[in-house]
Amino acid sequence: MVRWVRPLSARSEESARDVGAKARGLVVLHRLGLPVPPGFVVTTDACRAHLREGRLPDGLAGELAHAMTGLEAATGRRFGGARAPLAVSVRSGASVSMPGMMTTILNLGLTTEAAAGLAAETGDARFAEDSRQRFLSGFAAARAVPDDAALQLELAVETVFSSWETPRARTYRELHDIPHDLGTAVIVQAMVYGNRDDHSGTGVAFSRDPNTGENVPFGDVLFGHQGEDVVSGRSPTRPLRELAEREPAVWAALTEALRRVEGHYRDACYVEFTFQAGELWLLQVRPGRFVGGAAVRVATELADTRLITRGEALLRVSPQHLQHVRTPRIAAPAQADILARGVGACPGVAVGKVATTTDAAVRMAADGPVILVRPETSPNDMRGLAAAAGIVTARGGPASHAAVVARAMGKPAVVGIADLVVDGSSLSAGGRTVGEGALVTIDGTGGEVALGSPRIATDTADAHLRRLLAWADDASGERSERDEARRLIAAHAALRDP
Amino acid sequence: MIRTDLLVLHTLRCGGHSGLARVSAATGLDEAAVESELIDLAVAGLVTHSMGAWGLTEAGRATDAEWITDELESGGARPAIAAAFERFLVLNPELLDLCTAWQMRPVDGVLAVNDHRDQSYDARVLDRFSDLDQRAAAVCAELTAALPRFGRYRVRLRETLGRARAGELEYLADHTTSYHTVWAELHEDLLATLGITRW
Repeated sequence: MVRWVRPLSARSEESARDVGAKARGLVVLHRLGLPVPPGFVVTTDACRAHLREGRLPDGLAGELAHAMTGLEAATGRRFGGARAPLAVSVRSGASVSMPGMMTTILNLGLTTEAAAGLAAETGDARFAEDSRQRFLSGFAAARAVPDDAALQLELAVETVFSSWETPRARTYRELHDIPHDLGTAVIVQAMVYGNRDDHSGTGVAFSRDPNTGENVPFGDVLFGHQGEDVVSGRSPTRPLRELAEREPAVWAALTEALRRVEGHYRDACYVEFTFQAGELWLLQVRPGRFVGGAAVRVATELADTRLITRGEALLRVSPQHLQHVRTPRIAAPAQADILARGVGACPGVAVGKVATTTDAAVRMAADGPVILVRPETSPNDMRGLAAAAGIVTARGGPASHAAVVARAMGKPAVVGIADLVVDGSSLSAGGRTVGEGALVTIDGTGGEVALGSPRIATDTADAHLRRLLAWADDASGERSERDEARRLIAAHAALRDP
Repeated sequence: MIRTDLLVLHTLRCGGHSGLARVSAATGLDEAAVESELIDLAVAGLVTHSMGAWGLTEAGRATDAEWITDELESGGARPAIAAAFERFLVLNPELLDLCTAWQMRPVDGVLAVNDHRDQSYDARVLDRFSDLDQRAAAVCAELTAALPRFGRYRVRLRETLGRARAGELEYLADHTTSYHTVWAELHEDLLATLGITRW
């Protein structure tokens, strides 16, 4: 009897509790007829058994071997084989989202022999070696990796299970009220290679702009790389729309996929994708979880198209979102001269002259507001951070040193601009170079860095918000003068308990 | 025996421009001793004083690198420091997660500023901070056994956490001598000591 492993297909019925939210998303993609690499999932139950016993549960190794035989049949390839080798991705997937906390191992099964086979098959030794090196670096450095595909798979599953128990993951669960005994599932799928050739790559896409809610696909693409490079920020990504010019067929397939997943979730969505030799594959899907003005706009527009009711639109916007609608933003990013995009790390807009060192920031701040632009920040930059009106860094995410300090000081910040290079007293990004003293505007919500001083608005979602609040009054039947949050709360009360 | 000239110079290297009180707090030396040392270093062209703060000159930075490397290699401390740095790097993302959780928390799916009105949430973050601090203490002990000057970080981290636990909430991540600040200086010190440049 099969106990620990489940197939991933349109017919899968297991709950997210058993197979994780990521696997449920893959089942949805299958049901929508969208391209998903074939694979299977090891249940959270197996993870819990591993947590209890400190080793893989009895029978799992045999079930993995059997499932791999099925995957070989589905792909016509051999796991660890010298000819037409099958490699797989091994990903965590808990029933709740724990981004970046657990291990992912790609290109598994590329033994010495299989890598040689892949090189011979593709005639591209560099690609095969690149893929094998990515596999080896996926494991913790200290670990000896066996040169046997089946043993690699068992070790990888065990590694993902163990990553549930790292102190950092434990801390994350404590902070987010996630029980420690849920465990994670493990998703094993045939590898698709974003690093395969010039028509390959990887990316992430929202079906709508998560900064504004505007109904245009938004995201990042990385040509010639695998997915981990996007998430880690190791390589500079390009705006998603470049896919339309470089790979029109992939773009068409992606926009169609986004349309279908929106129809299913009845909400803006997020997908992760890879394209190999011009062919699109989807690796993950979930609702977009927009906030602030973007949440207001998406809810209103989805109600306009009758995909959701006005009542649903109201319930999707929390009073918390309303506070964020009023955060200053660059009014029309599409019309602004955007120099670079990163991750917004502290909301708000700052306008000032570029300073590329702490000394320059302190000196220039005497004459007017300064934006400190650094590769990353260290304690040596504290004076510059204190002197600056806003902060931009090339490296780091929302939890980087710069982000923590920016929030402590309440200063707008944009971090993680992968293609930003600070060189002496100038900086370059997106092929353009800007000198110290140039005027820039940064948006710490959307992560934009714009040249000059584009229009700033505190009411970017106003038209949508006014309509939503009118619906709120219709729902509650109250028309008296009240603040926006109260109007929304009254509507929620009426809708939940009519 | 810890050389005070090295200690004072290196404190500026890792902590950036600082006033007397800050250098004194970081080194554990009294302000008069710090000032006397800084004046000697200034005469030697290694530090300067401007706008109320002391900072390194280019020559000071180069000399600091020499002294620190010499200290590291002459005592054979490199393997122990490098191994401890590996363990520090495992803790570092968790520390940054905790600082972020202290400053911001998701409310209805929206990341909002933590207004510290929910005491049970704050208590949870503080508990995890304390747990991390225990693991950091083990790393600090390894560092201090190899190079005694690292002992100050343990003292300073314990002090800031103690203040935060006693109700001075800004001492975790929102103060110029917060736990996060001391941690970042320790990070910088490890990079400087091992001669690793940030890219």
